[in-house]
Amino acid sequence: MSAEWIPMRWPAEWTDASRLDLIKGTPINCLTGDAPPVIPLGDIAFTPLDSASPPRGIVLLEGVWPHVKITRTEARNTAETGPTGAPWVDSNGWRTKLARAMEPEKTVWLVYDPPKESEVVPPDYYPLPVAEAEAYGAHWVISLDQNFRKGLESGSDAALGGWKKAIAALEFARKHKEWRAFEPVAALGVVSDFEGENEFMAGEFLNLAARRHLAYRIVPNAKASAASFAGLKAILYVDAEPPQGDLRKDLLAFVEGGGLLIAPQALTKTEPAESKLGYDLRAHGKGRIATPREEWSDPFVLAAEAHLLLSHREDVVRIWNGGTMDSYYAASRDGKKAVVHLVSYSRRGRLDTVTLGLPRPYASAGFYTLESAARVKPVKSRLGTEVPLPPFETYAAIELEG
Amino acid sequence: MGIHLSRRDWLAAAAGLAVARPAKSAPTAPVAIARCDSYGPPVHAALAKLFDQIGGLGKIVAGKTVAVKVNLTGGAGIRLWHEPAELAHWTHPDVITATIQLMSRAGARRIRILESFVQDVDPLEEHMLQAGWDPAEMLNAGSKVEMENTGSLGYGKQYHYFAVPNGGHTFKGFRLNHSYADCDVFVSVAKLKEHVTAGITLAMKNCFGNTPATIYGEGAGIDEPARVPNGGRSMLHFGHRQPSKIAPSENDPSSSRDDGYRVPRIVADLVAARPIHLSIVEGIETMTTGEGPWVAEGRARRIHRVKPGLLIVGTNPVTTDAVGAAVMGFDPMADRGTAPFETCDSTLKLAEMHGVGARDLKNIEVIGERIRDVVFPFRNYS
Repeated sequence: MSAEWIPMRWPAEWTDASRLDLIKGTPINCLTGDAPPVIPLGDIAFTPLDSASPPRGIVLLEGVWPHVKITRTEARNTAETGPTGAPWVDSNGWRTKLARAMEPEKTVWLVYDPPKESEVVPPDYYPLPVAEAEAYGAHWVISLDQNFRKGLESGSDAALGGWKKAIAALEFARKHKEWRAFEPVAALGVVSDFEGENEFMAGEFLNLAARRHLAYRIVPNAKASAASFAGLKAILYVDAEPPQGDLRKDLLAFVEGGGLLIAPQALTKTEPAESKLGYDLRAHGKGRIATPREEWSDPFVLAAEAHLLLSHREDVVRIWNGGTMDSYYAASRDGKKAVVHLVSYSRRGRLDTVTLGLPRPYASAGFYTLESAARVKPVKSRLGTEVPLPPFETYAAIELEG
Repeated sequence: MGIHLSRRDWLAAAAGLAVARPAKSAPTAPVAIARCDSYGPPVHAALAKLFDQIGGLGKIVAGKTVAVKVNLTGGAGIRLWHEPAELAHWTHPDVITATIQLMSRAGARRIRILESFVQDVDPLEEHMLQAGWDPAEMLNAGSKVEMENTGSLGYGKQYHYFAVPNGGHTFKGFRLNHSYADCDVFVSVAKLKEHVTAGITLAMKNCFGNTPATIYGEGAGIDEPARVPNGGRSMLHFGHRQPSKIAPSENDPSSSRDDGYRVPRIVADLVAARPIHLSIVEGIETMTTGEGPWVAEGRARRIHRVKPGLLIVGTNPVTTDAVGAAVMGFDPMADRGTAPFETCDSTLKLAEMHGVGARDLKNIEVIGERIRDVVFPFRNYS
């Protein structure tokens, strides 16, 4: 299976060959489902979706329908709050980054369906799951809910409009496919095996850190090396079991070089030099090791504590008026080019006052939505550069150079 | 504009006024006004002159621990359009920095910058960084400068009790973070703004934020204060519940639940309980219509970002706010029903009743710029 395959779950109800007209000329080139459609597919590939036997070169990742959870209560359409007190968002960015970090040589396909009939999904919502997956370097296995499918069958303007926008998200990603090779920009590394008893804390940390726009580089234990910590200011070692062997040596070397290690247990026997935010801080070389006075139990609290121990001073991206939005800042290996993806999970419509803040200066910036492109001027600020963004909905990418 | 009070509200209001009768003669103190058209070095020069005009900073802060309550309302992630918060609804860092420098030079022994947040216990410095500020500018502006987020117990071991001298309009006392007690001098550094609930927010209304959300917030504990805040001070606005039991309940739970009735009274109670020794109102650049970007929805008036280019300083918060109100184009003697108090009671009047200070301009000496020369009518922006 080629990494270039763009998948779609073909509705079983579509047995007429004319239905293929919908995907002709689009980036979609691979159909999935329980069985191949009973129509000639031509150049279009087909693969069954079986997590036990995924297509070669593909990671099938179970995802969630991305959205802000809305509570249907007496207070109509109020957003359900999470532990943050802020609206709870179901998103796939963090799990996609994790899957890519675990198997970087493979392409991630996010597999999930829209909500069932009990919830109506407007067709113009479909660009969001497509754009979210593409922003994080994956593909969503496009799956149509019944209303959307019927709308496309009848040729309704709303359905066709939503479809065009979803396809525009695929076209946009294809046009900027060099961004897929960019690497996350972050001051914090997250080290874990992301398995077994560590899976919940480590995974939910990634999820909740994203809600704070706390950027991170995922370093699976098995792939960790001194090189994988280069450029980081702090490392969060999540696992309950202390690191062993080379990983332990590399972590201590990172601290000796001036880094901050946040870990459940101290790796040295030195006495704490100070305490801060409920953590004991031990000096080691030029750096410090922070260990919690109380065992970690809440990933939301851990995300907040790690962020404060690192400090907002080290934020690689700041967002104002971002609301329920995720950000993903990635750069080319030489650092000369970068992109910040912004995915909005809100259905409030147009976001017209978002400002992006970056600690480093950039000479120019391109602003892209699925419909438009424009130049925007970064302005100098107290803590680096700010980019006032033009209005957008659902998704925007800010390309940075210089 | 018609005022619609039920008989119950009227009785409650009358009862409230009976609790706190007007002081026979509320004290007065001079207020100085200066033009200051931009941030940066002009702020330092303007403030230095203002402090001299009110009698000198040294006699207020020399040898003292000074607590400075700034106004960083709302979250650090919220802006008016693309404007940095300090150009719309937050006290500008240049004003805070210049204040610290001048106080330090005047001999302040220790300066503590205070603000409370209703969503977390993160250090104040971290909120500033989130907003795009560098707190080091302020921390290095004088010797022994510290910061504290006073929305919770903070760095203290217990909440301090502040009694309202005459029993209070709404509360007879408050439990506040230790920083409001561990100081010799208390300073309010406010922004020149309107307020959708209280009409105006100047030096006194800034102190509504003295209250920790762990006791007075949406997620406050019932018996004990919450460890961390979790939501705004809606209980103070609407009175749907009482503070954590560590703090006094309100005097009359049958009084009006209208926030236009409650908030001005609570502010007056707060400034009587925790006196303000120096008020600084920054109106160099600000916004109209309300206290923050979030007031836009449902408002008949649009928000405008404006540049009054003014700084106002005084040692009495009522006289200072009265001059501030006048500069904004309002009559400080206005009562409920008249701008800016169309839907609320006058904090100026209620604080005057407590004997905090005088609001009648006839009794206030204005130094520096004359009000009529610098008046900047906020309601001209519709």
